[in-house]
Amino acid sequence: MSSSVSVAAEWDLLSDRFYRRITIYSPLPWSSPATTTASSSGGGSGGVGRLDLSTHIVAAAPFGGPIAAVRDDSKIVQLHSEPSRRRLLLFSSSGHPLASSPWTPHLPRLHSLAFSSSLNLLALLSDGSLLRFHLPDLRPTPSSSPVPLLPPASGGVADAVFWGGGVAILTEDNRVVVTTDIEVDDPHPRELADPGVSEDEQVLCMAVVEPQFVMSGSPEVLLGVGDRVVAVDEDGVQVLGEALEIGPVQRMAVSPNGKLLAAFAHDGRLLVIPTDFSRIIFEYECDSALPPDQIAWCGLDSVLLYWPEVLLMVGPNGDPVQYNYDEPIMLIPECDGVRILSNSSMEFLHRVPDCTTLIFGIGSMSPAALLYDARDHYDKQSAKAYDNYQLISSSLPEAIEACIDAAGYEFDVSRQHTLLKAATYGLAFCSQLRHGRFQEMCKMLRVLNAIRDPEIGMPLTIQQYKLLTATVLTGRLIKANQHLLAFRISEYLNLNPEVVIMHWACEKIAASAAIPDIVLLESLLDKLRLCKGISYAAVAAHADNTGRRKLAAMLVDHESQSSKQIPLLLSIDEQDKALQKSIESGDTDLVYLVLFHIWQKVAVEKNAPLDFFGIINARPLARDLFMTYARHSKHEALKDFFLSTGRLQDAAFLLLKESRELEKNPMASKGSPLHGPQVRLVEQAHRLFAETKEHLFESKSAEEHAKLLRVQHHLEVSTKQAIFMGSSVSDTIKTCIAMGNDRAAAKVKSEFKVPDKRWYWLKACALATVGNWDALETFSKEKKPPGGYKPFVEACIDAGQKTEALKYIVKLTDSAEKSQAYTRLGMDKEAEAAALQAAGNGDELFSRLKFTLGQNALIDTLRDRLSSY
Amino acid sequence: MAQIPNLDNSPLNLTAIREQSQKDLLNIVKSIRGKKCLVIDPKLAGTLSLILQTSVLKEYGAELRILSADPLQTECPKVVYLVRAQPNYMKFVANQIKNDEPKGLQREYFLYFVPRRTVACEKILEEEKVHQKLTIGEYPLYVVPLDEDVLSFELDYSLQECLIEGDTSSVWHVAKAIHKLEFAFGVIPNIRAKGLASTKAAELLNNMQLEDPVNMDNMGMPEIDTLILLDREVDMVTPMCSQLTYEGLLDEMLEIHNGCVEVDASIMGAQQDGKKVKVPLNSSDKLYKEIRDLNLHVVVQVVRQKATSIQQDYAEVKSTNTQSVSELKDFVKRLHSLPEIARHVNLAQHLQSFAAKPSFHARVEIEQVILEVENYETCFEYIEDIIQKQEPIETVLRLLVLFSLTNAGLPKKNFDYLRREILHSYGFEHMSLLYNLEKAGLVKRQESRSNWVGISRALQLIVDIKDPEKPDDISYIFSGYAPLSIRLVQHAVRSGWRSIEELLKLLPGPHLDLKRGVSTISSSEVLPGSVGQQSTDRVGHRSLVLVVFIGGVTSAEIAALRFLSSQEGMGYDFLVATTKIITGNTLLRPIIASSKEGMI
Repeated sequence: MSSSVSVAAEWDLLSDRFYRRITIYSPLPWSSPATTTASSSGGGSGGVGRLDLSTHIVAAAPFGGPIAAVRDDSKIVQLHSEPSRRRLLLFSSSGHPLASSPWTPHLPRLHSLAFSSSLNLLALLSDGSLLRFHLPDLRPTPSSSPVPLLPPASGGVADAVFWGGGVAILTEDNRVVVTTDIEVDDPHPRELADPGVSEDEQVLCMAVVEPQFVMSGSPEVLLGVGDRVVAVDEDGVQVLGEALEIGPVQRMAVSPNGKLLAAFAHDGRLLVIPTDFSRIIFEYECDSALPPDQIAWCGLDSVLLYWPEVLLMVGPNGDPVQYNYDEPIMLIPECDGVRILSNSSMEFLHRVPDCTTLIFGIGSMSPAALLYDARDHYDKQSAKAYDNYQLISSSLPEAIEACIDAAGYEFDVSRQHTLLKAATYGLAFCSQLRHGRFQEMCKMLRVLNAIRDPEIGMPLTIQQYKLLTATVLTGRLIKANQHLLAFRISEYLNLNPEVVIMHWACEKIAASAAIPDIVLLESLLDKLRLCKGISYAAVAAHADNTGRRKLAAMLVDHESQSSKQIPLLLSIDEQDKALQKSIESGDTDLVYLVLFHIWQKVAVEKNAPLDFFGIINARPLARDLFMTYARHSKHEALKDFFLSTGRLQDAAFLLLKESRELEKNPMASKGSPLHGPQVRLVEQAHRLFAETKEHLFESKSAEEHAKLLRVQHHLEVSTKQAIFMGSSVSDTIKTCIAMGNDRAAAKVKSEFKVPDKRWYWLKACALATVGNWDALETFSKEKKPPGGYKPFVEACIDAGQKTEALKYIVKLTDSAEKSQAYTRLGMDKEAEAAALQAAGNGDELFSRLKFTLGQNALIDTLRDRLSSY
Repeated sequence: MAQIPNLDNSPLNLTAIREQSQKDLLNIVKSIRGKKCLVIDPKLAGTLSLILQTSVLKEYGAELRILSADPLQTECPKVVYLVRAQPNYMKFVANQIKNDEPKGLQREYFLYFVPRRTVACEKILEEEKVHQKLTIGEYPLYVVPLDEDVLSFELDYSLQECLIEGDTSSVWHVAKAIHKLEFAFGVIPNIRAKGLASTKAAELLNNMQLEDPVNMDNMGMPEIDTLILLDREVDMVTPMCSQLTYEGLLDEMLEIHNGCVEVDASIMGAQQDGKKVKVPLNSSDKLYKEIRDLNLHVVVQVVRQKATSIQQDYAEVKSTNTQSVSELKDFVKRLHSLPEIARHVNLAQHLQSFAAKPSFHARVEIEQVILEVENYETCFEYIEDIIQKQEPIETVLRLLVLFSLTNAGLPKKNFDYLRREILHSYGFEHMSLLYNLEKAGLVKRQESRSNWVGISRALQLIVDIKDPEKPDDISYIFSGYAPLSIRLVQHAVRSGWRSIEELLKLLPGPHLDLKRGVSTISSSEVLPGSVGQQSTDRVGHRSLVLVVFIGGVTSAEIAALRFLSSQEGMGYDFLVATTKIITGNTLLRPIIASSKEGMI
C-alpha cells in the first residue's frame, strides 16, 4: 500500500479528523510580471495584471468565483512598472486577468469590495454609497455615479459586512443600515433599531446572521460593543450571553449554516457559541491576546485564525494545527472548506472526506482500501488482486461507491483516474450497484476538470458544484465570457443552451463594432440556429440598442413569433414591414398596434393623414380595422379617409349617421327651424351618393328622406303636434289617417308615390286602430281593393272585432285565405268547410288543419290529466 | 336542475376546461384582498353563469354589479372590472372612474380584459386619461361549454365583423381557442375548412402550432381526430328557415340565453302571475336530452306517452297490492321524472300556441316554396305583403335573404321596389342596413343565374319525408329540407372535400384539406370510424369530430349532427363549437341594430 501512504502523509490531524491543504493553482500568473503582460487583456498598459494582497483591497467570490482588486490608496505603495492611475482589476481564481478598467478618480475613499450572489461586483465607498459593476466587462450599472445607501449626515461607513444578497453597514455615528435588495438598480436601505452604543463606547466587531437563517426572514446584525454583544434587527436590540461572561469580543464569524458563532475574546480565548448565546460549545486559549486579522470557518468543524505569518486551525478537541505563511493571505470561506489566496498560490483547505480516509488512511483495511489495492495489483498483473477481491466480495458495492465518491473529491486528475479504475475493477464483479452511478460521476468530473483548468479558473469542489447547480454554473461561465465551454457543458448535460447562445450573441454584437452587418449576421445565425425556439427578436433588440439598426432589421426577420417580432420592427422604424407582418399574423391586435404607432408618428408630420391613408388603403385588413376603430371615436378622421380615397358613398352614410345623431338631440327636434342642419346633412349625403352611378338608389332614397323630413316638419307645424319627425313614410300616413286628416295622408301618398296595395294595408290598419269601423266600411266600398279584402280582414281580426271581420271574410276570393281567417277566429267548422272548398291543394291543407287542431286538443287533455294527478 | 350543465357524458373532458376557467376567475378574485366590487359586462355575466355559481364569488368578498353607462354605486374601496375587450365598455369604465373623482373617492381600480387585453381598448382608456389609474390583467376565457357536446366562443358579432366590417379578430380568437384545446387534447391530425374565415383560421392554427408548439411527446393519441371548420357565410340559407325541432322552436319563439329560457311563471304552471322564471335547458335534463332534437309534434307524442305510462303505473299500484318492494321502488323512481315531464308539457304547450297559428304554417310553407325555387311570383308577393303590413323587420329580412340567396339575387326592378318599400315602411334609417346586406351578398341584385337548384339537387337538400316519426335522414329537421351546412359536414367526414370539390366552388369562399403531424395512421381520405375497413379494424373506437361554425350555428343544425352520429354504422361523435348559437332573428338583429347606429 505504498501509494496510499504518501497521500495520507500530507494530512493534518485535528481532533480525530484529518484535514488537507490542496494547492490548486501555483504559481499565480500575476506574481510573474513577464507572463502577465503577455496575457493581459487590459491592452497595452503594463502591470495591469499585477496584484499584491498587501497593497490592494481585494474581494473574492465564493464558489470558485473571480477575484477583484483595487489598489488601496490609504497605504503607501512603491510603484514598480505600474501606472500611477488606479485601476479596477478582475482575475479568475487561477489569477488570470479577465478585465480591468480605470478607477474613477475623485470618488470618496473605497471602503470595501464584494461580489453579490449573481456575480455583480459591488464597491462600497466610505461615504456609504455603492457602485455596481457588471461582469465580465466591469461596466458600471446602472450608471457610473454611486447610489447612496446611508441617510445623509450619518458620518460615513465605520464597518460593513456583505453577504450574497446584501450588506449591513455600521455608520460612524453607530447606527446600522441594512440593504437586502442589493441586486436591483434602486436598492432600498433600511435602518435597524438603534443599537444603543453610548458615546464613550466602541464597536469592536460586527457579524451578520444572513436572512435565510433567521426566522423573521430579515438579517440580524451582531455587534461587539464594550463588554457585551448585541443582536440588532428591525424590531429591536437584544443583549446576548450576559450569563456567559465572555467579556469584550474582538472578532466574530458566523458558521456557514448560520447556527454557530466563533468569537475571539479580549483575553485571547476563541469561543464557539450558538448564535443565541445559550452556552459555550468549546473554547480554546490562544497564545496571543492580539486579535487575529482574519477569522473564518472551515466547514462546520473548525475555525481558522490568521495573524500575519501564522494561520491557526482550531477544532473542538486536541491541539490546533498551525500553518506558516511568509506572505499575506486572504481566507475565502466556502461551504465545505476555505480557499487560501496568497500572492503566489491558491490553496484549498478542507476536511478529508470519510471515503477518502477509508481508502488512503494509514493502515486502513477497509473494503474500499482493499479494492483500491486490488486494482494496483491487477495492473501489476499480480494474483494478489483476486485475493483482495475475495476478502471484500461481500461488501463490494460499498467499496465501489467509496472509490467513486473519493474520485469526486480529488482535484488531481491522475488520482481521479486511479480511483475510478479501482471502481471499474470492482464493477466487473458486481451487479448490484445502481445503474449509472459511475457514469454520473465521470460526467461530473469531466465538467469539474474542464472548469478547474487554469485557463478557466473555477476551482469548484464536487459539493460546491452540486450546491451551485449546473445551470448556475453555466451562467457564471457566461459571465466570465466562457461561452463555448458553457455551451458544451449545456450540451453535454442536456441543458437548454438558449441562455448561453443568447448571451453570446449579445456579447458578440457588443464586441464586433468593426464587423460589417452581413458578416456578423452570418456568424450570429450560425450559432442561433443551434437552439430551437430562441428569441431572435431579443437579439435584434440588443443589436438595435447598440446602434446597429440594420443588423437588427436582418435579425428580426428570423423571428417566428409575430408578437415579439412586430414591436421590434416598430422600434427600428420598419413600419411597412411591421404592418405587412402583422396582417400576415392574423392577430388583429398586432395590426392595431402597428396602426396606432404609424398614426402617432405621422401625426407630428405635415402631410400626415394622407400618408397614413395611403398606407392603409393598400391593405384591406388594416383599412377595415381602422374604419371599425374610427367609427367609435374618430369620426372626422374617418370622413377624411373616405373622401380622400374616393369612398363617397361611405362618407355619405357617415353624414346620414350624423343627421340621425342630431335628431336624437332634443334641441334639434320639436318642429323648430333647427331641423335645418339635419336636412342639410341628408341633402349633402344625397349629393355625394349622386356622384357615383352605382348608388343611384341610395341617392334617390336620400332625396326622399330629405323630402320626408320637410313634409314632417310642415305636418308638425300645421297640426301643432310633434309626433311625425323620425317616423317612416308609412307611419306618417297612418298617423295622418288616425288623426282623421285624410287630406294630408293622401298628399303624402301622392308625393311619395305610395303603391295602392300598401295604401290599403295602411289605411285599413290605421282606421281599425282608432276603431273607426264605419270609415273602414266606406273605404272598402270605394272601389275593389287592388290586393283583395285581406287587409280589412286582418285589421279587424287583429283588433279583435269578430263581427267586423266576418263582413270582409266572405268577400275573400281565396278559399285557403278564408279558411285561415276562420281558424283565427276559432270558427273551426267554417274553416274546415272553406278548406274543403280550396281547390288543388285542398287535401294537404285539410290534413294540416286537422293536425294542428288535433294537437291542440291533445295537449289540453294531457295537461288536465297531469294536473289532476 | 342547474343552469351549469353536467358534462360527465361529454366525448371530451370538458369538465377540465370549465374547472380551469373557474380557477382562473377565482384566482383573480382572490388575488385582490378585502372587499371589492366586481363589475361585469352584461353579456359576460350571462356567460359566467355557465361556469360557476355567482354566489361563490360573493364568498370571496366580491359584490357583483353589471357594467352600464351609469355611475357605479358601491361602498367598496376596490373596483374590479371584468369586461370583454370592446370599445363601448371602455367608455363605460372610463366614465365610472371619472365620476368618482369629483366625489373625492379614493378607489383602487382593476381591469381584467376577457379574453385578453387589446391595444385598441387600451388606447381608448389612454385617451380618456384613466389608463394610469387602472391595474390591468387578463382573464383568458376563450371557450365555454354550453352542453356536453357544444362549445361556445361567445363571439356575438363574429358574423357581421367578418362579413361586413372586414374585422377578422374573431377568426384569430377561434384559432387561439382551438389551439388551447390542442394543448389539452393533442394536435388534431385532420383539418377540413370551407369559407374565407375558416381557411384563415386553419392557417392561423397551423402558424400557432409552429410558433408555440403543442408537445405531443407525453400525450397519447390525439383525442380529436378531425376538425371541420365552416363559415356561416357558406350556408346562410339554413338559419333563415324556421326551425321545427323542439329546441329550435324554443330558441325561435322564446330565445334561449346561456342555456336558459325565461318565461312567465304562469306558463310553467305556477300561480304567481307576471313573474318570470328561468328554465334551464341542457342534457342534464334526461327527458330534454331525449326530445330536444325531435320535431315538435313528435315531442308532444313522446311526452304524452310518458305521462300516460306513469298514470297507468299509478293506477296499477293503487288497485293491486301485489307489487314487490323492488317494483315499488321502480315506480317511485319513475315518479321522479314527473317534474321533467310537467316542465316539458308546459313548454311544449306554450310553443304549440305559436306553432299552431295559421300564419306560422303559411310561413313554413312559403319557406319551402322559396327553397324549391318554384313559384317566384307567389314568393315575391308574400314578401311584398309582409313589408306593407309592416311585420317585424327581422321576419321580413329572413325571407328576403332566403329569397335572394336561392335566386342569386333579385331582378333590378324587384330589388329596387322591395328596397323602397322597406325604406318607406320601416324608415330611411335602414338605408345602410340594405347597403350592408348588399355588400355581404345577402340581399342583392341578380347578376347571374342561380345555382341553388344545382347545389340542392347534388346534395339532395330537398327530400320527401316518408315517416316523420322514424326519420332516416337529417332532412326531417326542417320537414323536408336537409341543412346545406350539415350535408357538407356529412361529406367531409365520409370522404373529404375531394368528392365534392366542384360543388364547393359554387359556394362562397375557398376550401382547404390539411393533414398535420407526422404519425397519421391512414393515408387515405377515409376517416377512421366511418363505414369502411377502418371501423372493423378498431372495433368500439368512436372517433371524435370537432365541427366549428364561424358566424354561428342553429340548434336545428346541432340536432342534425346529433342525429347523424346516432345513426347505425357511424363510428364518430360530433362536438360542436360555435361563435354563437343563432336563429335567423338573432343573426339579423345585431346587423340591423349596428347598421342603424352607423357602427358598421
